[in-house]
Amino acid sequence: MQNLPAPFQPTLGVAIWTWIVFILLFILLAKTVFPAILKATTDREARIKKDLEDAERLRNETAAMVEEQRQLLASARGEATAIVAEAREAAERERATAVEKTRQEQEELLHRARREIEAERERAVADIRREAIDIAISAAGKVVGARLDAAADRKIVEDYIASIAGGARG
Amino acid sequence: MMQGQEFNIGEMIFHHTGDSHELEFEPFGTIHLPEWQPIHIGSLTIDLSPTKHVVLIMLTGLIVYTLLKATAIGVERARKAGRAPHGFSGAMEAFVLWVRQDVAIGNIGHEMGPRYAPLVMSFFFFILVANLLGLLPWSSTPSGNLAFTGALALIAFVAIEVGGMTKLGFKGYMRTIFPPIDGLPPGAAIAMSIFMAPIEFMSKLVKPFALTVRLFGNMTAGHFVILALFGIVFMFGHFGVASWGIGFATALVVLGVMILELVVAAIQAYVFALLTAVFIGLMQHEH
Repeated sequence: MQNLPAPFQPTLGVAIWTWIVFILLFILLAKTVFPAILKATTDREARIKKDLEDAERLRNETAAMVEEQRQLLASARGEATAIVAEAREAAERERATAVEKTRQEQEELLHRARREIEAERERAVADIRREAIDIAISAAGKVVGARLDAAADRKIVEDYIASIAGGARG
Repeated sequence: MMQGQEFNIGEMIFHHTGDSHELEFEPFGTIHLPEWQPIHIGSLTIDLSPTKHVVLIMLTGLIVYTLLKATAIGVERARKAGRAPHGFSGAMEAFVLWVRQDVAIGNIGHEMGPRYAPLVMSFFFFILVANLLGLLPWSSTPSGNLAFTGALALIAFVAIEVGGMTKLGFKGYMRTIFPPIDGLPPGAAIAMSIFMAPIEFMSKLVKPFALTVRLFGNMTAGHFVILALFGIVFMFGHFGVASWGIGFATALVVLGVMILELVVAAIQAYVFALLTAVFIGLMQHEH
């Protein structure tokens, strides 16, 4: 060994120093440095994993919510359509009722008017007849020169007029 | 230029790659390191005097610890702030995690990988910084010292074998030396197994030996090439005007080799850490 060039002469001293330094370094690194780096990394990994899971969960929740909203919207739309249809039907019914009522009232009015006209006409006819009887009696009194008994004469004239009226109608 | 003729490239190269008791900062001066009395343990003589390489090994340890501690502090601060680290600590964190996940756990397995990962990571960063230090001026790489690479390989060897023993148990571990042979009558199987033992044992020893020599060889060879190319400048320095051209061309080539050395420094650190992880993994999964 002694006659070998310097680089090829291993010395125990250097080897021992290497062991001392390396083992010391290894202990320091293994105790204080590597665990710290590893802990930070595993923590970060865990956090990223959690964040990803949270994002996934939120995404699912949002999707569920959107789906729920869509269903709600669809049911609301259906309900609205039903309400509109019902309202339209009710309005139609209402209108028909109103028309019918109006028609009935009109009819009623017409009927009443007709009855009143009839009554009016009958009253007018009766008035004319009474007037005619009075004239006839007064004229006959002048002809016979005496005052006729009102009730009995009236009876005669009335019967006569009735016969004329019957003849005229017949 | 008489120096040109007297200049000995081989001596210069060995001087620069070899260990010494001096830190040379030419032309500013030289620091003489203290020389202690060697310790005698039996027939063994241990000289623990600090050498150039010992100083660089300590410097390597200090740099690795400082860099990774700064990373840990940066990462921790980012964690408290609830964000990812950025800048230096972000880059270093990615680096550390890559070594842990891809080099260590990827080769040892998910069960035992995390347990051995700190060792593999320490190997990687320690060797990487040691390799890179050798590329600085006035420096020299401790990984160009067989004692340094051998000492690290021995740690790897102990991790591989002791790890195997704890995982496989004594009986299971002995099987890695005396492999069970199938398809032979019992007597022949035992004989064959005993014959195989030296080979198996050798293969165990070859692994750390290969780690030692590979790292040492790669780092030393790179420095030899750089120094040999620089030697050209001194050898042809007496060529007058032409020496300028030679100097310039040499500097260009050395620059290229230096860039290559940067890559080699990283690759060798990776290879050492990777092979350690692979060997630990192989041993863990031995049946």
